[in-house]
Amino acid sequence: MKLNICHLYPDVLNLYGDTGNILCLKKRLEWRGIEVEITKLPIGASADFTQFDLFFIGGGQDFEQEVLLSDLHNGKSNEILAAVEDEKVFLCICGGYQMMGQYYLTHAGEQYDFIGALDMHTVGSDVRTIGNYMFKCTDLSGASTVVGFENHSGKTYLGKNVSPLGTILNGFGNNGEDLTEGARYKNVFGAYCHGPMLPKNPGFADFILQTALSRRYPDAELPPLDDGLEISAHDYMVNRLEKQSPVSG
Amino acid sequence: MAVSACRIAIKLLRLLGRGGTAIPGKIALKICPELLGYLAKDVKCVLITGTNGKTTSSRIIEEIFAKSGASYFANRSGANLINGITSIFIENSTLTGKPKKEYAVIECDEAASKEVCRLINPSVVLVTNVFRDQLDRYGEVTHTLENILIGIKNSPNAVICLNADCSLTASIATEIPNKVMFFGVDVPIYNDPVSEVSDAPHCIKCKHEYDYSYHTFGHLGGFYCPNCGYKRPETQVSVTEILDTGISSTTVRVSVFGDSEEIVINLPGGYNIYNAVGALAVSEAIGFKRETAKSAIATFSCGFGRMEQFDLGGHTARIILVKNPAGCNQVLNYLSSLSEKTVFVCCLNDNSADGRDISWIWDVNFEKLADMDEFIDEIYVSGIRSADMAVRLKYAGINESKLKIFDDYDSLIKAMEKQILPVVIMPTYSAMMDLRSKMSAAFGGKEFWE
Repeated sequence: MKLNICHLYPDVLNLYGDTGNILCLKKRLEWRGIEVEITKLPIGASADFTQFDLFFIGGGQDFEQEVLLSDLHNGKSNEILAAVEDEKVFLCICGGYQMMGQYYLTHAGEQYDFIGALDMHTVGSDVRTIGNYMFKCTDLSGASTVVGFENHSGKTYLGKNVSPLGTILNGFGNNGEDLTEGARYKNVFGAYCHGPMLPKNPGFADFILQTALSRRYPDAELPPLDDGLEISAHDYMVNRLEKQSPVSG
Repeated sequence: MAVSACRIAIKLLRLLGRGGTAIPGKIALKICPELLGYLAKDVKCVLITGTNGKTTSSRIIEEIFAKSGASYFANRSGANLINGITSIFIENSTLTGKPKKEYAVIECDEAASKEVCRLINPSVVLVTNVFRDQLDRYGEVTHTLENILIGIKNSPNAVICLNADCSLTASIATEIPNKVMFFGVDVPIYNDPVSEVSDAPHCIKCKHEYDYSYHTFGHLGGFYCPNCGYKRPETQVSVTEILDTGISSTTVRVSVFGDSEEIVINLPGGYNIYNAVGALAVSEAIGFKRETAKSAIATFSCGFGRMEQFDLGGHTARIILVKNPAGCNQVLNYLSSLSEKTVFVCCLNDNSADGRDISWIWDVNFEKLADMDEFIDEIYVSGIRSADMAVRLKYAGINESKLKIFDDYDSLIKAMEKQILPVVIMPTYSAMMDLRSKMSAAFGGKEFWE
């Protein structure tokens, strides 16, 4: 068995620890004897999207946003849209998550049109939400509890055609108003959980991998791994956040 | 009135043994917000800022002042925000607010530099570099750069010493009327540097991707923008040849305004080469004798968690502070030159001084440690986020049987003491502070405000 992973825009969407997710996907496949090939697709590069099983898009800085948007509008947007409708698996974090939506309305009132793969949009605010947080995935997305770190000033609002990835247990999430976090549409998983979301959320990591594996090999099942260290990192943050008031990170 | 309140507070805190470095300034600034400007009015200030290397650069500059016999003071303990800086100025003023010393060597946090520069009106500003650091606090690198630029614009009388190899730092020169001196390294430093994410792949002027004629590490090196022509500027002080890289020092050839000098740097590691030439540029800007500066660079000691050594009874422990991916990757570059079996210790905290977001550890190439497997006896992991650190090392390919997690520093110190192999400790800032004070108590060492 083999999965092909595409790391989209590793040259600009690489804010703090995003490579940790790629490393986690890779190792958890290799430890199970499943072959994995990772293709980095930086700005300006092109590839046949139909060969990939799983796409990862990370978070980035505002500074590179223009470069990124012009590359997207040069053809990649359409390729991404087609891959999404083809039920390829996507994990999109923070800026990469926002980018999958319809548009971003800045705090100053400027609108940037995004890929539009997901029925959602983001509105800039003048307050940044920064801190550890935790949410519970919906049954549709594996029902595991995810801990991580959020750092964003954009508030994301989901439309009718997407469902949230999970429900906030502690922290801010999509917008701090409706207790939702992230989005799920077909096999796209989006979240604000920036940096290395997967390593200390092994249940969620395996749910993503299983989704990608099942799409290509309908009967394949991931055997369990020894996740002792991962689970202690996960449980440490769950316990710490449970002691805090639910609104603070 | 504010000056007296503050002096009393410092005395009281010292007596309590808390190493009061910031609290007195905080009290005084509450009483008189412009106090720092008043106290610094007749002091010639050298201000050192930038992401990495502030403390080491400051220690070298301080040693040059000491060896020159200049009358100076410095904020020695990394109390580099406005409160701590105000405290040190109070300590070095008379009760009526007149300066006791001619010069001040001030290490300053990047975000605090805009306000501190406005108040102290420095004579020389050194910007070491700009890397990604504590995104939860500073935001993206361009924000850090903007803060530093505002500080420099608030320093109309200063000579500005800038790292020519850092495309972000060097860009400051085109925005200011001040006299600028550039320092840098003209050649690659490592044969096999760790691969790392560039913090600045795109031109700060036009956003086109840079080309490089060579890299030293991170985004530092001979950058050139093929679109707008922005490039590494001509240097006045720069390393032309790496002559010898040792376990405890480095020897380099440096061109200083065209003169060739052989310089021994009393600390190992490529990043300390930059710290040394940056300090040399400052020395030239002030006009100290070059021989004095060379001698200071060859003999200074930094301590305070920067390659600081402790004798654990027959074997040594070295503390090397790590703060961000760029700095930590450079420590790993250095460690990869070790040739004896070693015990590694990683202490990861997430207090505000460390950065509350620990995801940066995934941008550090800990895979390099896995490559050095034969020289690694065990890796001890401790600190508030020890479990996350252990996960990172597992995914880096470190054999889990070599990992030991310690929940508290007392048991960690006991385990290090029992060892017979040399120990290298890589702690984040607040972990370093806690560990250092426990190790000083157990094995001897200076109090941190000394």
